[in-house]
Amino acid sequence: MLTYILRRLGATTLVLLVASFIVYTLTAISQDPLNDLRGSSAPNREELIAFRIEQLRLDLPIPVRYFTWLGGAAKCLVPFVLECDLGRSFSRSYQPVTEAVSTAAASTIQLVTAATIVAIIFGITIGILTALRQYSGFDYTVTFMTFIVYSLPIFWIAVLLKEFGAIRFNEFLNDPVITIPAVLITGAVWGLIIMSILGGSWKRRLISFASAFVAAGGLLFLLGVTGWFERPQIGIIGVILTGIGAAFGVTAISTGLSNRRALYASLITVGVWAALYQPLQFLFFYVPTAWMLLGLAVAAIGIGIGVGVLIGGDGKKETARTAAIVSFITFFVVIVDRVMLVYPDYVDRIPGSGVIATIGSRTPGLQGDMWFQILDGFAHLVLPTIALALVSLAAYTRYSRASLLEVMNQDYVRTARAKGLTERTVVVRHAMRNALIPIATIIAFDIGALIGGAVITETIFAWKGMGALFVDGLDHGDVNLVMGFFLVTGILAVVFNLIADLLYSALDPRIRVS
Amino acid sequence: MKIARLTAGAGIIAVGALVLSGCGNPYQSEVVEGTEITVAYNSGFFHFNDDSGAGNNTANGNVKYMTDTSFAYYNNTPELVRNEDFGSYEKVSDDPLTVEYTITADAVWSDGVPIDETDMLLQWAAISGNVTDAFAPAATTGYNLVTEVPETGDKKITFVYDEPYVDWELVGPIGVSAHGTYALAFPDEYADVQAAYDTYVGSGEEGDLTAYRDAAKKFAEGAKEKVAAAITDGDEEVLAELGAAWNEGYGYTTLPESPAAALTSGAYVIDEIVEDQYITITSNPLYTWGPSPKFEKITVRTITDSTTALQALESGELDIWTGQPTADILELANGIETADVQTAVQASHEHVDLTVNNGGPFDPATYGGDEAKALAVRQAFLKTIPREEIVEKIILPLQADATVRNTHLVSSADPERYPLLSETNGSADYAAVDIEGAKALLAEAGVTGPVEVGFWYPEGNVRRGQEFELISSSAALAGFTLVDESEPDWLFTDPAAVPINNHDATLFAWSQTSLAVGGSDQLYACYEDPLAKGGNYNGYCNEEVTDLLAQLNVTADHDEQTAILEQTEALIWADAVSIPIFQFPGLLVSSDKVSEVKSMPLSPDYFWNFWEWTPVEGDSE
Repeated sequence: MLTYILRRLGATTLVLLVASFIVYTLTAISQDPLNDLRGSSAPNREELIAFRIEQLRLDLPIPVRYFTWLGGAAKCLVPFVLECDLGRSFSRSYQPVTEAVSTAAASTIQLVTAATIVAIIFGITIGILTALRQYSGFDYTVTFMTFIVYSLPIFWIAVLLKEFGAIRFNEFLNDPVITIPAVLITGAVWGLIIMSILGGSWKRRLISFASAFVAAGGLLFLLGVTGWFERPQIGIIGVILTGIGAAFGVTAISTGLSNRRALYASLITVGVWAALYQPLQFLFFYVPTAWMLLGLAVAAIGIGIGVGVLIGGDGKKETARTAAIVSFITFFVVIVDRVMLVYPDYVDRIPGSGVIATIGSRTPGLQGDMWFQILDGFAHLVLPTIALALVSLAAYTRYSRASLLEVMNQDYVRTARAKGLTERTVVVRHAMRNALIPIATIIAFDIGALIGGAVITETIFAWKGMGALFVDGLDHGDVNLVMGFFLVTGILAVVFNLIADLLYSALDPRIRVS
Repeated sequence: MKIARLTAGAGIIAVGALVLSGCGNPYQSEVVEGTEITVAYNSGFFHFNDDSGAGNNTANGNVKYMTDTSFAYYNNTPELVRNEDFGSYEKVSDDPLTVEYTITADAVWSDGVPIDETDMLLQWAAISGNVTDAFAPAATTGYNLVTEVPETGDKKITFVYDEPYVDWELVGPIGVSAHGTYALAFPDEYADVQAAYDTYVGSGEEGDLTAYRDAAKKFAEGAKEKVAAAITDGDEEVLAELGAAWNEGYGYTTLPESPAAALTSGAYVIDEIVEDQYITITSNPLYTWGPSPKFEKITVRTITDSTTALQALESGELDIWTGQPTADILELANGIETADVQTAVQASHEHVDLTVNNGGPFDPATYGGDEAKALAVRQAFLKTIPREEIVEKIILPLQADATVRNTHLVSSADPERYPLLSETNGSADYAAVDIEGAKALLAEAGVTGPVEVGFWYPEGNVRRGQEFELISSSAALAGFTLVDESEPDWLFTDPAAVPINNHDATLFAWSQTSLAVGGSDQLYACYEDPLAKGGNYNGYCNEEVTDLLAQLNVTADHDEQTAILEQTEALIWADAVSIPIFQFPGLLVSSDKVSEVKSMPLSPDYFWNFWEWTPVEGDSE
């Protein structure tokens, strides 16, 4: 194992070296860094050109410049002793490239993290649902939709999202009036979705349609009349209701509802959160820090495990797992509820502009504690996240559907069914586990690619990350900047490739790395 | 519903702050509390010293323009306007050219330290390069002619030029602060001030602010003396440190820890910087020496994509944006209900140059040195260029009042000289496409058969590709065969690689950054060493033009300048080596939350009248 990793790393270093030389040379010849000055009639044109030639050593041949650069970059291998030197970026007022890259990487990670998580969760879930309801109306609809999203250019999705998700939606938020047609349409859409997912006989379909119609449409109507959109909140009742829903849902998938201990443990954790709700509000008010949130998240999982262990009986492990997940979900809802509390104030603090933002990652000069910052971050992240997630989600849906279908047709699944296992056990424990192996590797690889690849999304949302860095560098012929980008994304791609390989062997005992 | 907080905070900051000071003007701050405006620029802020080689770009310059004071600025006419509230400058002698600068106001840096002669002296030392090479300025133009250390007096400095310098008015010796630069060079000596500042930032108390300012003043007294001494004595050791600080100390992308790196001399101070996203500046409470701005805060966001900017404007996140229009962008902008759309000209102008020294069809050498024959061919070619059609088909859809530009040396935005020069320069001969005239010229010169013209334009530029098509089909009628030699790298502009332009005709734009009359020599003057040809890529050489341009560079009188420009312009047209086509169209879009936004064809772009931007009160929905 260790020799395998070392060997891979050695080969990787070689690949990176050769690739860096090729990228350096290609960038250097592809674009002239003095381009912008050549068309300038500024009186100091000659001086600017001379200054840039001197700074970038343009008088030396490209290979010599490359090795000078490599010499600086090599210092990065000895952190704390030597100062990492990736040169300076002339298109950014001679800012050191290390600084430019670290800021850009941070903002890209901020941008893609949420999108990746959303895409993974929803992509796999939808994929599994479509696989289980193969050739149903739901399957066909989802397939159709994913292909549309998959083939749409992201800049177009983004522009549409801004038009409807931000500009129009903000107009609605300014004057939230729920019309009867809106209620009916929402109800019908949700009715259709739920009906097609649940399936079954016509009678059963009709019942699921009707109940979903009433639930969704009715909820929207209720929210409209009570002025919820002006002052959104979940409240303690909402927390309890969503908690109970999560308890039943998670238990059904995790252990099956027949495992009463797991269900009771989950419900008890929800009870704990309901009891903590009021006291927590004081904590939220007086200690609005990220550490508090982190501590609380750990505590949430701890509560779940504790309750699970206490009443788990024979199945302590399953019970604790289930309760921990439910506890975390409830914790999340409590936090969302707290963030919603500042919404009316937030709206007042951003006069003029709408709630959902179309550019950047934060509102300039926003005054307010952590809760405002969270809400502001959400308002800025929601559109780019949706745009990025939609595209990855479409791919993940297809992969997980195909993968699960393949596994479901295998002999051992039939054997499991023949043993008389419940459908839940067959799907969740036997089929899904194997179906996820190829997806896990794809995702690991995707994350590496995402960090370097959100060029268009970044540009459209005025979000300067790695992609923008690369494009800017290429535009200006700023070789140092391009190399900074290359170094980070190249290393990430290689590392995530390695992780994908290792993950594969860890998940599938039949495969051994050597 | 969200009737901005304007009404709530409509009180004016520092109510009744009528400042009457020794020699300053009565001053009333007009900043409206709680008002903010967000504007866009296509590049981010990186460097606070835009006079340095590293910091010299327009994005930095725009911010500096709003935070700092100058002796004069361009209005949107554009003409140079003196800022008498701050200081004055006057020419006290013509031979040698001597200019005296005086800061008349009780102007102070944002830490309360007076702006004085040492700051001006440092600016001279840094930019002129006549004391030390430690400073790396973007340009030494003008300053380098002042070789003797200027004499200083109380808030006064006197520049004595070695030779006459035409654009002396554009030299306003005020840049970054002397004591701030000293603090950056020797941070140990600044430790007390830094500590006081940190205390103030931590507490935000009025008392701590006073303490910080007092400490800064105390530090500045010594620092200024040391800076002045180092410059007058040529103390290389201190100068090297100062130079390093001046070059690099001001480069930052988050609010610097040391307040010395962000001292401003004007209406605003830096409030917040988020790299690659925005920089926010907030009104300077000490500012009294110039027109008062109205907005308390201005945020300059970095937005590169036009659609992004316009959608942000529609959703209320942005208030001013400028850029180059395309048909789609213009339509999008016009579709925004809350937007005010202005079309205007930008500073760049498109032109075709004919190469006269490469053995091509426009070079007399091709015809055995027959100047007249080559001239006739050039004239014939220029007559076929469909300038009207290009403007009509490509520019008019974007700018309703677009016209053909008829001058080489002055912008069509120049209200005085443009009409005059375009009348007298002989451009009328090329007003319309004249195929018959072109044919006659060719016949007269005895040039038969198709004339092959290697034509370059930047590959990948769609607009210039269209222009090429139009020119090509028009020129073909008169017997010119255009060969598409477009490539994306502008290789012919590199004198080291391509000493003689290998294209017969080139199409690109000159961008203009100021109204300086001097400097045209690098485009139209004769040269001997190709490495020093500047922008004269077509090898044009007319001794008379060269002499006139040299003379122009040292002529200070406005009318005399105009006369020289008139002569030169006519000569260039008569030589038929270049033809201007149009001035670039620009688009300026502002939201209904701000009024008095006006375009300006030169840098600093629409920022030029930032103090006039006025918040519009009332229901913004």
